[in-house]
Amino acid sequence: MIFPMRTRQLADATGTGTTGPEDVIEVGGLRQKYGDFEAVRGISFTVPRGEVFALLGTNGAGKTTTMEVLEGYAPATDGTVRVLGLDPIRQHRELRPRVGIMLQEGGFLGDLTVAETVDLWKGLSRDAGRPVTMSGSTELPGGFTLLGSRIRRVDRVTMGALELVGLEKKARVRVKQLSGGQKRRLDLALAVLAAPEVLFLDEPTTGMDPEARRTTWKVVEDLRDAGTTVLLTTHYLEEAERLADRLAIMHEGRIHTHGAVEEVVATSGDMIAFRLPGTSWTFGDLPVLDGVAPALTYASGGTEVGYTLSGSDAGTRAHAALRPLLAWADTRGETLERLAVRRGTLEDVFMRVVGEA
Amino acid sequence: MTKTDVLHAVRLARLDLTLVGRNTTVLFNVMLMPLLLAALYSSFPTGDVAGVEGKVFVLTGVPGLMLAFAVFINLVNAFTSRREELVLKRLRGGQPSAVAVMAGSGLGALAVFLFQALLIGIWVNRFEDVLPVNVPLMVLAAVLGVAVFGLLAAAFSGMTPNAEMAQITVLPVLLVMMVAAPVAFPADALPGPLAVVSNLLPVTPIVEMMRTGFLGADHFGDGGEKLTMAGQWTAALPSIGILLVWVVIGALLARWLFRWEPRHG
Repeated sequence: MIFPMRTRQLADATGTGTTGPEDVIEVGGLRQKYGDFEAVRGISFTVPRGEVFALLGTNGAGKTTTMEVLEGYAPATDGTVRVLGLDPIRQHRELRPRVGIMLQEGGFLGDLTVAETVDLWKGLSRDAGRPVTMSGSTELPGGFTLLGSRIRRVDRVTMGALELVGLEKKARVRVKQLSGGQKRRLDLALAVLAAPEVLFLDEPTTGMDPEARRTTWKVVEDLRDAGTTVLLTTHYLEEAERLADRLAIMHEGRIHTHGAVEEVVATSGDMIAFRLPGTSWTFGDLPVLDGVAPALTYASGGTEVGYTLSGSDAGTRAHAALRPLLAWADTRGETLERLAVRRGTLEDVFMRVVGEA
Repeated sequence: MTKTDVLHAVRLARLDLTLVGRNTTVLFNVMLMPLLLAALYSSFPTGDVAGVEGKVFVLTGVPGLMLAFAVFINLVNAFTSRREELVLKRLRGGQPSAVAVMAGSGLGALAVFLFQALLIGIWVNRFEDVLPVNVPLMVLAAVLGVAVFGLLAAAFSGMTPNAEMAQITVLPVLLVMMVAAPVAFPADALPGPLAVVSNLLPVTPIVEMMRTGFLGADHFGDGGEKLTMAGQWTAALPSIGILLVWVVIGALLARWLFRWEPRHG
């Protein structure tokens, strides 16, 4: 542990900073300011080796800023940051060969072909082409083999990286001719080229078609299974639920909720949802059920109403709350359209965090 | 600079040369424009200048002016567009050090410049029957020139918001070089204060070192007397000094102004 005392103190404030011996990413009390604007307002978390940790949040929540401090692009205004026990700014040279970075956008020379781009990056990376062990004991396609000359091996490494992300047929295409999703896949190929111990993925599947998204997920899962630690930001909650072991939801520079994915989803409890015709409904018109006030959203000429009942007995409470609700509807002569009782989702938690903050 | 830095710089220089060849606009501005300029300058009907035939005088000094295109304009454009497209950010996030990235661009520009200077050398030799006398002095002028204008390009790119604006940002430097560089006449032939200013600009010592190295005569003023090899180096010392001062100025300006990423917000 690099800064146990500091982290423990911060853990009290945020609840996310408990360190362990295998923590690969350690963030303690991170604050980041740009002029008068504070993009990150004192967050703490740790990511142990081999875990996929997702940072969720709306645009401007501070996810990318946090990521960039960890990647060593900017020094932290305040707080402590360590990746593999190293300071991303001061120990930049030691750290760089051990991390892979997938930027949120851009970073390509449009006049190079896809293969040339990988080739260039390979030439600039110390361990490029080192075998990446995948689940099922496969290797990074085109990794080290005893076949042929050095030139042939170099070609295989490049093609292997492209096969990994499904871009092998685009090897001779110039980067400027790729679609947005294909560029994201190329970015992923570059990020994993040197078999990094830590992988930073900033919105990795934005712009990808569903098939490419699933290919990317498989790559990330295989890397995780091989022991790579992954820090991921995403707007896709389905992606976070599928890939992440733990997650944190950020809003306006702070972490509002965090934990294992199942734990976070469980905090959303059960939800009673229905729709009322018209958009003139207000909170005062609707009943309070089991001490819970409704959440209203107006859409397509109607009012969507939701009651979130949390706690371990949420199911029982939802059942009990239905009686007074139906009685209220009978008294008012209203029809509860699309009435449903369902388990909460990550989206419910996300919307609650964003709405409450 | 470590061995890895050198390897990375060479790879990035090769990349730069590949990209120059793939972009028609860059190819014209960087490779052809300086040669057209040399042809234009050398076509002016002049008599002997400082004891040398006018055309030879122009052609042996014109490589100094070529630096504006091969290095300054080329690198301001490259740094600005790569910052805009986040290529510099990606490189900075990778394994190459900042020194390797800058050295790679400098090395690529040096290769372009040396190629152009070689073409001029062949031209002068073929049509004017003159062989360069002091190649090491010319190479030193080229290296110092690339260092100064490479660093100035990094600084100017920091003041340039986007690639379109780069065409405008480079204009003042280009105009000053074209007016004040002693390509068609010796610097001392300029009227009083202008001659003093011209002698302090980085382009003047480069032009004069190139010409002196090529012709083996003193062209650091308007004399043109033949010099021994040692005499050429001694006469070049003040010019080398001026260029070293410009390297320091360029490095400070680059450190202050150069940016790896577009500004936030």
